[in-house]
Amino acid sequence: MTGTGAPARRVSRRGLLTGGAMAAGGALAGAGTLAAVRPQGVRPDNPVPVAQVGSAVEPFHGARQSGVTTDPQAHAAFVAFTLRPGTDRAALGRMLRLLSDDAARLTQGRPALADTEPELSVLPARLTVTFGFGPGLYAAAGLDERRPASVAELPAFGIDRLQPRWSGGDLLLQICADDPLTVAHTQRVLVKDSRPFAVVRWVQQGFRRAAGAEPGRTQRNLFGQLDGTANPKPGAPADTAVWVTDGPDWLRDSTTLVVRRISMNLETWDLLGRSDRELAVGRRLDTGAPLTGRTEHDEPDFAALGPDGLTVIPDFSHLTRARVTDDRQKILRRPYNYDGVPTPEGNADSGLVFASYQADIARQFLPVQRRLAERDLLNEWTTPIGSAVFAVPPGCPEGGWIGRQLLG
Amino acid sequence: MPSTTTRRLPRTAALIGAAVLAASVTACGSSGTESTAPAASGSTSAAASAAAGVLTVRDPWVKAADKGMTAAFATLANDGDTDVTITGVSTDVSRAEIHEMAMTDGKMAMRQKQGGVVVAARSRAALEPGGDHLMLMDLTRPVRAGDQLDITLTFADGRTQTFTAVAKPFTGAQETYAPGHGASPAS
Amino acid sequence: MRTRSVTALLAAVLTALLLVPATPAAAHNSLQGATPARDARLTAAPTQVTLRFLQRLNPSFTTITVSDAGQRKVPTSAPAVDGVTGTVTIDEPLGNGTYTVAYRVVSRDGHPVQGSYRFTVADPAAPAPSASASAAAPASTGADTAAGAGSASGGPSAVDEPDASGPRAGDDGPPVALLAGGAVAGLLVVAGIALLVARRARARRTDH
Repeated sequence: MTGTGAPARRVSRRGLLTGGAMAAGGALAGAGTLAAVRPQGVRPDNPVPVAQVGSAVEPFHGARQSGVTTDPQAHAAFVAFTLRPGTDRAALGRMLRLLSDDAARLTQGRPALADTEPELSVLPARLTVTFGFGPGLYAAAGLDERRPASVAELPAFGIDRLQPRWSGGDLLLQICADDPLTVAHTQRVLVKDSRPFAVVRWVQQGFRRAAGAEPGRTQRNLFGQLDGTANPKPGAPADTAVWVTDGPDWLRDSTTLVVRRISMNLETWDLLGRSDRELAVGRRLDTGAPLTGRTEHDEPDFAALGPDGLTVIPDFSHLTRARVTDDRQKILRRPYNYDGVPTPEGNADSGLVFASYQADIARQFLPVQRRLAERDLLNEWTTPIGSAVFAVPPGCPEGGWIGRQLLG
Repeated sequence: MPSTTTRRLPRTAALIGAAVLAASVTACGSSGTESTAPAASGSTSAAASAAAGVLTVRDPWVKAADKGMTAAFATLANDGDTDVTITGVSTDVSRAEIHEMAMTDGKMAMRQKQGGVVVAARSRAALEPGGDHLMLMDLTRPVRAGDQLDITLTFADGRTQTFTAVAKPFTGAQETYAPGHGASPAS
Repeated sequence: MRTRSVTALLAAVLTALLLVPATPAAAHNSLQGATPARDARLTAAPTQVTLRFLQRLNPSFTTITVSDAGQRKVPTSAPAVDGVTGTVTIDEPLGNGTYTVAYRVVSRDGHPVQGSYRFTVADPAAPAPSASASAAAPASTGADTAAGAGSASGGPSAVDEPDASGPRAGDDGPPVALLAGGAVAGLLVVAGIALLVARRARARRTDH
């Protein structure tokens, strides 16, 4: 499997529309209502009908881990661990054997071994559990020479205000599903099995639109922006950007993950008018179209001038600064929104759990990040407050476990 | 009945165990494939196929423990047409017994199960926390989380079957142990 | 209109008396002065354009362009930023004609601010402007046409109004009828409302 493998229980697109419309329409009955309920301009390419969201399954076993190029699920928990002092190479093997087994079962809708709440395991809702190895894991295993060179703490950027409570980690479990209860139970099972080996360092929970609510749409962040328009297209372009295709067996079919917690200041963003927001982003907020285009995926024309001689798309816009055209240089954004508790004064604690997958952090992520840190007007309203990097090792076959190529 | 529980494994049984293991009894990542009889495996020796596969052992696991006692669990399926009785259990890290949970002096406690566990034809028996289970006594070394432990069942007809259970950190089902009610040699 | 100037006067007095706190709009950068000046008619072609703003400029976020009446960009240096001023040097001598200076800068709070104005070079010693240049340069309308991206798309834009010291004609004060029959006290109240309306209208225009 690759992350793009078709879920085992997919149903037709038509089925999706029907299911979604029926769910949205509630008591509405009859095919005549469907067209009215269907949002305009939404591509109906989410293959999971709403009625089957709970039972839909993503693969666990395969050459590559799921949860990377997998169509992003609605809910996520990023759980980072710090290894206990005694957790060496052998102990890591035992830990990953346990956690892989849990993931293999839970993702397929079956209780984990010794699952104390087996009833919570029967609806996988496209659950994926993706394992990431931080630099400290290689050190603990005595295998630092096998660590991908770019999997190292990122250089400091001037825009960073990093907090230890959201940064670093020896092991990461990215748990994603279309059902938040499934995410919670999976997290509980995995954390319990990790306790002899590691302590929880941080957990970042995030969400997108509910499954089937906006099929085929790029996700929106809490600024209202479409977020991820520039992703490499599914299939060959994404594969090129994401996967390591050669090297020893602990690198082949691996990728890397950068998790950045981006605080988004909704209070100062509120002060911006809509056109100012669009100048900062370089895109229309409603359609996501570049300021020079009509639809989301139109190519931006950075040279286009307005009647007064200014470029239509400001050169400090996020679109301009983040722009990459070569798939080999692109990153695969797989972000989730977070929304904490407002202060008593009503100031939001909101932002993005920015998850970026790429074959090589140094080749792909860092150049974009440097350009953004240097000159991206959006920095005015966004602040990175957490940062962590992980190698995402290859997948495992049935009977195997994640990390075996490295540690076994 | 208890006489079988601490018997040393004959060497043939160990080989059989290895054969069963090769037939993917390994718990990890098995994604629930049943640990089926090695008869299904072409590489299995005749001796193994004759003796193994008495039961299908599904989802075996053992509770991790540093010392003292611990317990192992699994679902045992009898796909045959005759009842199977498990009379003994052994591991290489402990002596072991078959236990049950029962009312003792007005509260639930575990004790050695008289007559062993009967898995009726075309049915299954669950060894689970709070019910019948395999009790590992006096661990000679820690059973650490993630360890894989070979466990050998002995049946009433003298056959044996070995499976591999993975050790899980588990804090649940902390039943009271009532030694002495089951004529346990440990009591 | 007479009533409007009365309103404006009252508004100014009230502002002074009440010391109304600054609105968010006041935090925004804005163009304070320019050389060449807006609507200037120069008899010698300028070699530089210098814009002076209310707030310090961030060189990373400062754009100043000059384009001719045919909307062709005039080659200039990158903006040299010094405090609140930004200067571009014009690479080649400007011929006679009307030119548009456009700027895009950022306020301290991150608000993008952009605007434009025109000036005309009419050097008696220079050749006459090309036909296309004069055709494409209608009489200056006050120059701050909705800027760049906004106007191109028909949407609102961050138009900066260097000369707008009060409500423009379009931003009407209170209805005349309200003022007509009012007593002094009533007038003050109405003027207060007028002030708020005007401020709000202005703030909205500036913010969006």
